[in-house]
Amino acid sequence: MEIIAALGELGLGERLLTTPAALAAFSCDGLTAFTARPCAAVLAESTAEVVATVRACHATGTPFVARGSGTSLSGGSLPVAGGVLIALNRLNRVLSIDPESRTAVLEPGVINLDVSRAAAAHGLAYAPDPSSQSVCSIGGNLAFNSGGAHCLRHGMTANHILGMTVVLPDGELTTLGGPSREGLGPDWTGMFCGSEGLFGIAVEVTVSLIPIAEATATFLAAYDSLSAAGDAVSAIVAAGLLPVAMEIMDALAIEAAEASVKPRYPPAAALLIVELEGDRDTVAADTTALEALIAVSGAVSVTHTADPEERALIWKGRKSAFSAVGWLAPDYIVQDGVVPRTQLGRALAEVEALSAAAGIRVANVFHAGDGNLHPLILFDGAEAGALERAEQLAADILSMCVRLGGSITGEHGVGVEKRAHLPLMFSPDDLTLMGEIRRSVDPGELANRGKMLVPMAEGTAA
Amino acid sequence: MIATVDSVAAVQEAVLVSDRLLPVGAQTKPALSAVTDPGTVRLDCAGLSGISAYDPAELTLTAAAGTPIVELADALAAHGQYLPFDPPLAAAGATLAGTVAAGLSGAGAQRYGGLRDFIIGVEFVDGRGRHVHGGGRVVKNAAGFDLPKLMVGSLGRLGVIVAVSLKVFPRARAHRTLAATFASPAAALDTIGVLNRGPLALEALDLTSEGRLLVRLGGDDGTLTALTERAEATIGTACERIDGPEEAAMWAASAALTALRGNGDRASENPSDSDAPSGDLIRIPLTPPQLPPLSTALTAAGARHRFSRGASVAWAHWPADRTLTELSDRLADLGLGGQRLWGRPGPPLLGTVPGGPFADRVRAALDPDHRFPEL
Amino acid sequence: MRHTIATDTLGPRGPALTAPIDACVHCGFCLPSCPTYVTLGEEMDSPRGRILLMKEVLEGTLELDSALPYLDNCLGCQACETACPSGVHYGELITGFRAHVEPVRRRPAAARLQRRLLLETLPFPRRFALAARLGRPARALAERLPSPLAAMLALIPDRLPPAAPLPARMPAQGPRRARVALLAGCAQQVLDPDINWAALRVLAANGIETVIPPGQACCGALAMHTGASERARPLARANLAAFPTDVDAIITTAAGCGSGMREYGLLLAGEPDAEAGAALAERVCDVATFLDRVGLIAPPPLPEPITVAYHDACHLAHAQRERTAPRRLLGAIDGLTLVEPAEWELCCGSAGTYNVEHPELARRLGARKAANLRATGAELIVTANIGCLTQIGLHLREAGVEMALLHTVQVLDRAYAHALKGAPPR
Repeated sequence: MEIIAALGELGLGERLLTTPAALAAFSCDGLTAFTARPCAAVLAESTAEVVATVRACHATGTPFVARGSGTSLSGGSLPVAGGVLIALNRLNRVLSIDPESRTAVLEPGVINLDVSRAAAAHGLAYAPDPSSQSVCSIGGNLAFNSGGAHCLRHGMTANHILGMTVVLPDGELTTLGGPSREGLGPDWTGMFCGSEGLFGIAVEVTVSLIPIAEATATFLAAYDSLSAAGDAVSAIVAAGLLPVAMEIMDALAIEAAEASVKPRYPPAAALLIVELEGDRDTVAADTTALEALIAVSGAVSVTHTADPEERALIWKGRKSAFSAVGWLAPDYIVQDGVVPRTQLGRALAEVEALSAAAGIRVANVFHAGDGNLHPLILFDGAEAGALERAEQLAADILSMCVRLGGSITGEHGVGVEKRAHLPLMFSPDDLTLMGEIRRSVDPGELANRGKMLVPMAEGTAA
Repeated sequence: MIATVDSVAAVQEAVLVSDRLLPVGAQTKPALSAVTDPGTVRLDCAGLSGISAYDPAELTLTAAAGTPIVELADALAAHGQYLPFDPPLAAAGATLAGTVAAGLSGAGAQRYGGLRDFIIGVEFVDGRGRHVHGGGRVVKNAAGFDLPKLMVGSLGRLGVIVAVSLKVFPRARAHRTLAATFASPAAALDTIGVLNRGPLALEALDLTSEGRLLVRLGGDDGTLTALTERAEATIGTACERIDGPEEAAMWAASAALTALRGNGDRASENPSDSDAPSGDLIRIPLTPPQLPPLSTALTAAGARHRFSRGASVAWAHWPADRTLTELSDRLADLGLGGQRLWGRPGPPLLGTVPGGPFADRVRAALDPDHRFPEL
Repeated sequence: MRHTIATDTLGPRGPALTAPIDACVHCGFCLPSCPTYVTLGEEMDSPRGRILLMKEVLEGTLELDSALPYLDNCLGCQACETACPSGVHYGELITGFRAHVEPVRRRPAAARLQRRLLLETLPFPRRFALAARLGRPARALAERLPSPLAAMLALIPDRLPPAAPLPARMPAQGPRRARVALLAGCAQQVLDPDINWAALRVLAANGIETVIPPGQACCGALAMHTGASERARPLARANLAAFPTDVDAIITTAAGCGSGMREYGLLLAGEPDAEAGAALAERVCDVATFLDRVGLIAPPPLPEPITVAYHDACHLAHAQRERTAPRRLLGAIDGLTLVEPAEWELCCGSAGTYNVEHPELARRLGARKAANLRATGAELIVTANIGCLTQIGLHLREAGVEMALLHTVQVLDRAYAHALKGAPPR
């Protein structure tokens, strides 16, 4: 193949992988329902190698997919069959930390949690905390505008990316944004974030850091129904409190977490986790206010803690919830729909009704403060037609989210998985424009082809 | 030439019939709404006005392009909420879309972040006259390209914004400002650094060219006392405490950029008053380590200035007797760029201006027929 | 994860092979805990990557020979199981898979010879001691030998301690609180017989009587974990015959042996003595776990304070899920301060015969572990496995660091004897 020959001239040695086993290992990400074999995988160790690989792809018209830790839940780093997979996990150096500017410059393969670990020496932290933060990389976070439990106050990944150096799909290297928190001219950086790899590959990323919170208080409140927990969330917002996180797990999700990492949650039909953060006086005042609010919210039980180990265990249970569902069923589809916060109760009731009608179990874990649902649709792929039924239920849930005024994805991205649902949210004109922007940046549709938008090669744009 | 529109359809039609056009709102930032090519139609979008959706329990709001910021602020204040990015020039009549297109955040952005952190959805008419949407009306959304962020700072050059959705937050119930004076801006830098990295979430952290550090605290009556003591201990210098209407008026004046207008202290009440161009107002993004050299350069040129957002931005008045070329060169020397809000005719962006192939290619898709002015 | 493997065609170990593949959701939480992924940075050398490879080999879509190099790279440390939120029994999968493919795999001549030498020497103390003495002069020839053999020679210790045969029984001191049987083990008994002696004295001091059943054999873990079930089964059967059932526990002092014996049920799956194997496995207990369960009689306070770094042996921490007991035991010694090394979950690279079969990877892991332990500033390193002790000692010496290394029971033994300070560097 022409592309293999071209890559062979880059001096990558054993970092150019073409054996069947190597390509099999790279054939899927965190969404195993989709697999595809690339023709080669490149383990890049420098920006120059990423540029050279992308140029080789461009010269030969070969699609390429960049991948960090391969944890996408929407098939975002699924290879293109016969294309090139560019692995960035070895580009994992924290290049610099500037405590005065509260910024860090990172290579794309740096693990999310390692940013906070590196910044801790300066009393700083990196705010976005996807549940996979111990594994997922900054490059993937950037490409998919990852969220996390603490978005409620801190925002998503794009809110913490200030600038970057990117390799455009033809191999040209360019810089967007800069080190300042204040922007100048159109927010090209913000536009590149969340573009799901369609505009190229970020090879150097400047992120903003926040001071490590002086105090936290993490509440665990048990309710006898999901709607009661949902109402408590609305009451907290209405009272003018601004927690950093508000999460709800249902009984099935609690069961999975207990089977897995044993967070010792109280038994409940719905568990509400609320976290306060800030200076000690504000947290103390907010703790008093929150105690009073939860006391009248119909909670069956409530506890709160400031102990770092107890807090870590609470979050470990929550953040392992997706994978822990592996204890309950052989397969699952996790959805990522968003509804307006005030529609949460209605949305959950609809999920329940859809689940009952389909005869498929659904566990619920969600970022209640953001209205971001994560229904986990449980099925057994060995059963004939089970996957298709689960996918239909997932589609019905997403339609419902959009009908209630929300979105098909809050933080996992569209990827390959929700591509067909994008027209629920956007008009033909919207999608045409997005396709035009994509092809203006990448006429050959080489960069992460097939994600988010339907490529011309597959049919009409969008 | 000015054309007035009061509907999205009218905007679409105007785009299709105009070879060159630039959307304008209340024109509170005249340097951004000025055109050099006399054939350019200025599209007045002030008629697209009004809040279309606001539910306090959602912490989100959607309004038409020309809605005055004050109208939004009043609606939010009724429910104890506010625009956390603290848009400037509200009192002068700034509109929502004008603020977004200018990419302006105010001193209050120190606490929760700037405009780009609070915009969640946008509707605009692109260069082909299509009415398109980006983002949505929910606080978290990863579907499609982030067109809302792209419109932040787009200066009306990438499309005509017709509606915007924002995330909002509850507002602190009480405020207090501590003022302390340092020998120079550079002398205050260490204190700014400690406060930036410290545990207290400040409502604002500004520094004037006279070396006056302004630390704005927010909380309720209970926490404000504790916050005051801790902030004063950190600042370490004698602090003046400013409260009540005086405090509010001080920040209102700051948001009006009064002290940085032309004609020295005889501030022109109408910043768009083109009869007396007496210098330029410029916004310069920076990082704290860039403060000392910039402060030196501005002081040397006799430019009054103010650092804001914990030394993340400088607002400066560039005197009329200095050329814009000199300003642009000074900024470029320091690796900085700036945006002019008002002053003499000239380009909106100076110094090191972002751009490059990515910008060119995205722009080519949004405005293939070059209907909007160059950036 | 969905697959198309026909479980019933895989024989008695079928469910142990397909259940982990069913349970894995490919989330990647295992990646940062995997020593080969952390070192090599390639997906094929990660736990979830290997699961994918084994799945495809079993499905018939991937040639075994293509997958083997990556599967062989696995240390079997099971750190991925500790990290896994989905409850994947990766250890059962890799052990079962290795046994499953052993009959059909081909090895180069030198590797075959090395494997035979290891499996026929290490598990037999007399042969091992003899080989060590005979092999020492051969080290001069190392450069000219095939690399697998050279790697073996490099690990031969400069000197072996004098043999110290164990008694048939060690009585409890004071009122008897429990009665246990001890697995003497093989390589450890040659390399450091003091560990078992220390265990006997510490157990006795805690009112525990120990019998050392005659006729016992090597636990078989070495063979079992490298796919040689046919060699492991006779060893397991010898132990089934040798160990009495009227004891409170079967005590192991090497973490690797403990985890090996706890897999007898799986090893003998489908055999007539499968149930007996599973029953014995249930009674196997690491010495630290047992002491902690019975309740340690606190040693006298130390005359001078000491700082100790505890290194988690994979086969205790990951395979047996035991991290608290050793720390509680050490913590009971007044004057001993416990410090935690970074990257506790990462294997030191010893992993049975791994440092012989994959010397370069083992060297990188050993050096990394030595650096992390050194960074704690501790005076003494304590762990629960002879392999770790040997490997860490080697890499500390290579880094030019003089740090003392002891087994947990040796620390307790010396504390009871007022002789903790001044342990010799290993």
